[in-house]
Amino acid sequence: MRLTNMDKARDPKLLPTDGSGTGVSRRTFLKAGLTGGFLAAVGASRLSPSQASAKAKYAMIIDTTQCTGCGACQDACNLRNDLPEGISYIRFCGKGEDEKAQCLPVQCQHCANAPCETVCPTGATYRTKDGVVLVNDKLCVGCRYCEVACPYQARRFDHERGVVDKCWLCLDYVLGGGEPACVHACLQGARLFGQLDNPDSQVARLVASGKAKQLHPEFGTHPAVLYYVMA
Amino acid sequence: MQEVWHWLPAIYLFLGGLGAGSFLVAAAVELTGERYKHEFCPTTLVGSTIAGPVVAVGALLLIVDLGAGVREPWRIFYMFTKFSSVMTWGIWILSLFIPIAFLYGFLELMEVYPDVWKKIAGKLGILKNLPLRRVKRFSVVAGSMLAVGTGIYTGVLISAIGPAMPLWSADLWPGLPVPMMPILFLVSAVSTGMGLTIDLSATIALPEVQRRFDGLPIIHMAAIGLEAILVGLLLYSANSLGGAGAASADIMVTGHMRAAFWIGFVAIGLVFPFVVHAYAIGAGSHSPISGIGSGVGIVVAGLFLRYIILASGMPPVL
Repeated sequence: MRLTNMDKARDPKLLPTDGSGTGVSRRTFLKAGLTGGFLAAVGASRLSPSQASAKAKYAMIIDTTQCTGCGACQDACNLRNDLPEGISYIRFCGKGEDEKAQCLPVQCQHCANAPCETVCPTGATYRTKDGVVLVNDKLCVGCRYCEVACPYQARRFDHERGVVDKCWLCLDYVLGGGEPACVHACLQGARLFGQLDNPDSQVARLVASGKAKQLHPEFGTHPAVLYYVMA
Repeated sequence: MQEVWHWLPAIYLFLGGLGAGSFLVAAAVELTGERYKHEFCPTTLVGSTIAGPVVAVGALLLIVDLGAGVREPWRIFYMFTKFSSVMTWGIWILSLFIPIAFLYGFLELMEVYPDVWKKIAGKLGILKNLPLRRVKRFSVVAGSMLAVGTGIYTGVLISAIGPAMPLWSADLWPGLPVPMMPILFLVSAVSTGMGLTIDLSATIALPEVQRRFDGLPIIHMAAIGLEAILVGLLLYSANSLGGAGAASADIMVTGHMRAAFWIGFVAIGLVFPFVVHAYAIGAGSHSPISGIGSGVGIVVAGLFLRYIILASGMPPVL
């Protein structure tokens, strides 16, 4: 049996949640239910994008001007996570509306306001204090609600185990001082990974310069994975 | 085309609506006092007894559809705990609605078969002085609120998804921040409930039921008309979003889903029952065939509607 993300992530104590994991507290929910009634609650439930979220500690920036679409990142990810045939955490999209972009590798965007986390009925999907979105596969019931709710279509259903799975930023490598397998494997150096709280890091500088852009900022998800697109 | 949620979710969203709608129709007949004007009322009998089982079957299908929930059923209990998820609300609503709907069905049966009740009450002494009517009234009032919740929930479940599926989160009118799906699914729930408890069962059981309520065909035609308007607005609203929303509207009307949409939903579920009811007004009564035909049409179209909307969901192009 292959290892699960949580097995690999080893010690959950290393991955503290940011405390806002449940989004809306029971008290707030009951209050809303009493005061606004069900319909008001229905309105409020529509993906409240303004939830205060802990600032992401890490950022991954994909340089679309360098990416050739060779698939090395995907291979490294598949190998590293021992993914079955036909399942991959990274997929390649067309260049969309941006004519200059050559290739668009898309994986979990580790959103600060993650729709998957909001809709998950068990709390299996959660966001760590460092802004990494993870799936606790001991809690996942496999309803696949998160899978349809992810606007980046970054979640995969593992039929073998009946749970949802996705990129977990190779958090074991990262916590050990390394970088995710896809970043390490990129032949063109098109993937940058680093800490945002270090202002001298390359990713922090790129983010500060405004050159690293969110994929579809209109979704209101505030991803930690960003894309460098030629101006 | 949306490929994560297929027929099975469509079936349990439909069953949730059908059960809730049947309950609401029975409750309306009960609360208006119409139920007690006749010795036998097939609408309340069928509506009250079928609501619980239908929703319970839907909930069972939902559980069967869970990946890990089937293998490790205790995980289902985690679903009661995460209040920011719409699905958690639904689990609560269903858990409360199902037993109350069963209670209503049981009490209605006891009212129809008082001899059985006497036997049961005779064996269990505590039940002797139970005010049957009052308990039933409580189950009807509480159950009605939960039935509305169930009907709305089936729509909120998919409308709460947001940018991932523009069709599902489409607004009632472009720019108006009112989600379409909860309203459409609630109206469809009531419509399918009427199809089952009035057209179908009442026609089979007692043809003159249609004659009892003079305004019934009109109410039914209004429900069908409202459903048609809402689906029209949905297509307009989704189309006005452009991109994936417009692509979804295309799938429904001219794409993969066109046969299901035009035949399964529009012809069988809207046009045919509407015409039949209009004819019934003229004739003063339904014939058993037209009653059964329109009932089956409305119920089947309710299932098609859920399936078409689920399958036509298109995620945005990245």
